[in-house]
Amino acid sequence: MAKRTTKSDTSAPPTNGDAVLRRPAEVDYADQLEALRQHDAETAPPSWRLSPRAVLTYVLGGKTLSAELNGAQTDVEITRKFYGDDAIVERAIVTLASERALLLVGEPGTGKSWLSEHLAAAISGDSTLTIQGTAGTTEDHIRYAWNIARVIAEGPTPDNLIPSPTMTAMKTGTLLRFEEITRCVPDVQDALVSILSDKAISVPELPGANTVFARPGFNVIATANSRDQGVNDLSAALKRRFNYIHIPIVADKQTEIEIVQRRSAELLKRYALPTKIDKPIIDLLATVFREIRDGRTAEGVSIRSPGTTLSTAEAIGVALDAALHANYFGNGAVTPADIGRHLVGSVVKEDLADLAILKEYVTLVARKRGASDKAWQAFHDSAMVALS
Amino acid sequence: MPHTASDTDTPLRDAADRIDLDVEAIAACVDAVLSDGLYWFPVRHHSPMVARVVQRVISQRRPRVIFLEAPSEAQHLVEHIVDSRTRPPIAIYSSFRDDHHALRSAANLSGHGDEPARYATWYPLLSYSPEYVTMISAKQVGAEVVFMDLPHWAEMAPARDGDEADRVREPSPHDVEQLMFESGFYRALADAAGYRTWDEAWDTLFEIDRPERDFEAFRRELATFCAAARATSSPQRIADDGTLARERHMRRVIRDTLAARNIEPADAMVVCGGFHLFMDHADDADPPVVPAGTVSVTAVPYSFFRVSELSGYASGNRAPSWYQTCYDLDERGATDADVLAEHVVATLKAARKLGEAVSPADAIAVTQHARLLANLRGRVAPILDDVHDALITCCCKGNPDTDGHTLRKAIDAIDIGTRVGKVTDRLGRLPLVADFYERLDALGLGEVVEREQLIKLDLDKRDELDAQRSAFLHRLLSLGVEIGRVFGAGGELGQGAIFRENWQLRWSPKLEPALVEKSLHGDTVERAATTLLRERLHRAAHDADTSCRRLVEAINMDLPDIVWHAETTVGEAIDTDGRFVSLSGALGSLLLLERYATYRALRRERLTELIERCYDRACFAVPEIAASPDDQWNDVVAALLALAEATMQRDGLDRDVFVTYVRQAAALSTVPFLRGALLGMLTEVRQLDPQALADELASYAQAPPEQMIVAGDFLNGVMAVSRTAILLGAESLVRAVDELLSAAAWEPFLTMLPRLRAAFDRLHDRQRDALAGHVARLYGLAEHESLTQIETSVSAAAMIADIDRRVAEIMKEWEL
Repeated sequence: MAKRTTKSDTSAPPTNGDAVLRRPAEVDYADQLEALRQHDAETAPPSWRLSPRAVLTYVLGGKTLSAELNGAQTDVEITRKFYGDDAIVERAIVTLASERALLLVGEPGTGKSWLSEHLAAAISGDSTLTIQGTAGTTEDHIRYAWNIARVIAEGPTPDNLIPSPTMTAMKTGTLLRFEEITRCVPDVQDALVSILSDKAISVPELPGANTVFARPGFNVIATANSRDQGVNDLSAALKRRFNYIHIPIVADKQTEIEIVQRRSAELLKRYALPTKIDKPIIDLLATVFREIRDGRTAEGVSIRSPGTTLSTAEAIGVALDAALHANYFGNGAVTPADIGRHLVGSVVKEDLADLAILKEYVTLVARKRGASDKAWQAFHDSAMVALS
Repeated sequence: MPHTASDTDTPLRDAADRIDLDVEAIAACVDAVLSDGLYWFPVRHHSPMVARVVQRVISQRRPRVIFLEAPSEAQHLVEHIVDSRTRPPIAIYSSFRDDHHALRSAANLSGHGDEPARYATWYPLLSYSPEYVTMISAKQVGAEVVFMDLPHWAEMAPARDGDEADRVREPSPHDVEQLMFESGFYRALADAAGYRTWDEAWDTLFEIDRPERDFEAFRRELATFCAAARATSSPQRIADDGTLARERHMRRVIRDTLAARNIEPADAMVVCGGFHLFMDHADDADPPVVPAGTVSVTAVPYSFFRVSELSGYASGNRAPSWYQTCYDLDERGATDADVLAEHVVATLKAARKLGEAVSPADAIAVTQHARLLANLRGRVAPILDDVHDALITCCCKGNPDTDGHTLRKAIDAIDIGTRVGKVTDRLGRLPLVADFYERLDALGLGEVVEREQLIKLDLDKRDELDAQRSAFLHRLLSLGVEIGRVFGAGGELGQGAIFRENWQLRWSPKLEPALVEKSLHGDTVERAATTLLRERLHRAAHDADTSCRRLVEAINMDLPDIVWHAETTVGEAIDTDGRFVSLSGALGSLLLLERYATYRALRRERLTELIERCYDRACFAVPEIAASPDDQWNDVVAALLALAEATMQRDGLDRDVFVTYVRQAAALSTVPFLRGALLGMLTEVRQLDPQALADELASYAQAPPEQMIVAGDFLNGVMAVSRTAILLGAESLVRAVDELLSAAAWEPFLTMLPRLRAAFDRLHDRQRDALAGHVARLYGLAEHESLTQIETSVSAAAMIADIDRRVAEIMKEWEL
């Protein structure tokens, strides 16, 4: 469903100074985007705010640029937003510069929406032109709707038309984000076929020049959950118009620890929590997630894996829950016991049988390690309480 | 397509800065070499761009002599390599037999037996290999080509004790490339430019054509790259891998040849790996002495597949067909857009053949994507990495690891290609190769090598011709010559046909090279197989299992001389090998041979004696397994089952001996799994009452929790060996499990669970049904007999359904 329309002033993106729970990426990272713009010597595709290489730098980070911000020369660190194979980001950017739309596909919590938001922010300066795919999404949400009261009074006129985010993106030559596209029924998905082929939406209700043509720069970034595969698969016609990019679960333990650490810190900052999570705690959390996900412990013991996807995002969620608990009910420092306490909700979601699997892990693995490691002992004890 | 700009300079400068490379010193070093009176040209193996440039250089400079980094022992092959009837891919094959144990004695090490060590090396040549193009170009301008590299065995480290007698080494260019890859400069460059692989770096820097870069500029760039790599390589690594020894030899050849021919350096040219351009010319040490021995050097057909990395050839070319296309189309004046289009269309065509739904629109999208990717990555034209990424992005609709399997298969097929080379028939065949073709014709198997297709062959070894075919094919398999696979040749004790074999044969480009490789073992297939088997037997001197397998091979290969020898070796191995698993395996092979005895004129009395001796010794070794570590349990159980089966099926083996030692081992064992397996085995051979076995299991119920938790291991051991015992003693076993689970608290139960689950996973459906029936009776749900009597009534059906449900609940409660 449409999250924002350009007609409504009240829904304009909050500025950096507004107190909102979560600001869009283009606001949160405005300094970095501006610094990159000032240093961008390459030609950007039509309507793009930055050149492809600058967009790549924005997503992968690793540079510090000196930029003039608010009249002062400032060093701006370009932080890394996406962890994983750099080639994935390169392929995504190139797709958005091509004729085809982009579909990011992967397990839940692998950072598809996160990447999509940052690409839209860097390329179009606006990541809020978004359709959230659900079973209730209709063709109107994708194309346009009418102000019915005014249509009854005045008939269909351009002023009475309520443009969808798609139409807005087409008119402004920007990116449309389509989240969870495979949650929509196929008939609704297929409304995109003509938009992606003809790059136009016709409005037959209007007389005369009744077609909205997309400006250069318009494209679509969709996301799809590989767990939904087979529910509402894209039609062959729509598949052809998308380049698929699969986002895998982070394979490397150290990278996963780094992601959890960095994202947790960002979230703690957002929630204004004075709590900090020490590295050994993150290490324990990442170890638990990896072992349960892989079905094998560091010692080589085979264990069962739950049906739930234990993504890095889930681990970040556990870290945040543990931090909130430590802040409001503890002494502010996150302990292994906090991790154990909040793990159950992440692992046991879709199938109650996963409860036994987690219990098996805690009993077989955590308890054994707890004999020689106090952190694991504390984790075991609190997890067992939570499981009972 | 020619390009006028490059973004490659920036990463090169960044890399130099990162490691504080003395750029001026490198430049001076490069200047010194490039301004030398002798013209040095750096190359990389299998590089089409270097091949094109070297061709231009030779046609323009027209040297009188060209020193080429190629094995000096193959000098006589030049005329055959450039022969118009030779068509790459081909390979120079060079092998050395250390008849005088020169390499071994150098380190004063003992070897294995009197067999001399053998060493072999391949030097593949593609039509775009700079070395091949150098030879062709030299022929065109009338220049003499001199191979200047050190024979591979002269730089070989002395053999270490226990090394395989056969060694096939990678060609030398690979070693140098590895040094460059490890160099500090390359590492810094990869970090600065984001190169994911060495190939990506090379292709970006040197395979993309730029018109502003004439051949002198190209030579300087490549030389500078190599100079920086050498300056940041470990001197110890350079010394250790034989590079210095080879360079001393190269300098000696150049100096001596120029003097002998009375040629000025300016009239000569050196074509060698770029790393060698910066050899130490002040090093006046003598090159190593080339050891004497038997040397065989020839040229053989090779294939793209063999050259590719997928074939396991470490210094191969990742995509021989792709680079061939680049080379061929450039020769015809095509642009890189043509290369890209041709390759993408061919790949998508192959994918369509494999069932992928890809269209010409996809080809357009892929080419556009590859170009944009290249641009984003700072390349002026796409390289293979960009093409791969574009193909995956535009054509794989899902996870490349799972949904992209077919597409990847097509990509590999088109990247690598199927081309097979040909060597002029003016070059004779090695005796072993000639014997192979003669035998193939004599046995009516000639069609195998006529075309590349699967040929099925059903052999009945009672027929003389089929027996000869079988022996010949087994000999080839033993030699490692990939000609096909056999099904139904012997097999498990009491299983399969004795006389019949089904073969699936298929020609492969590896076939002839494999024969050449084995030519040092003998001049005929029979002699080579005999030599190799004799060596293998020698190495298996104290290994009963391996010795017996070798004996089976000897029988299959119909090598009567070696059968006698093998029998002796087997006897000694049985007497000296005290390992239970090995002896049990040996017994299995001997029992298999016993079945052959009737028609292969084997000495039955000798076999019988070996079998009985092996059986006794295997029984004696049973107590040895009582404390085996868990990584050996699977092998131990399999060996125990095999021995028990032999005891039951073959007359003349004393079952009491087996029972005595199994009982002894069970008494000794404190490992629950093994104790379970041994007691289970005693029950299986009716030497232990099922009730006693169940009591042993039930005793865990009374044990403290730390002992109780290993009950699952014990039961797992029982079920690993028991078959009929499960059915016979099911009732008592069910009671014991029930008692155990009733006594177990939640935590011990969870700890036991994985092993209990593993134990029940071993059961067949019938055994599970039997257990389920006993569970039902144990809980008083119904009498088994009454169930069968009331099965026709409606109320009975309802009752059965209710019982089923309740039994299922109980089984679920048990987590079974």
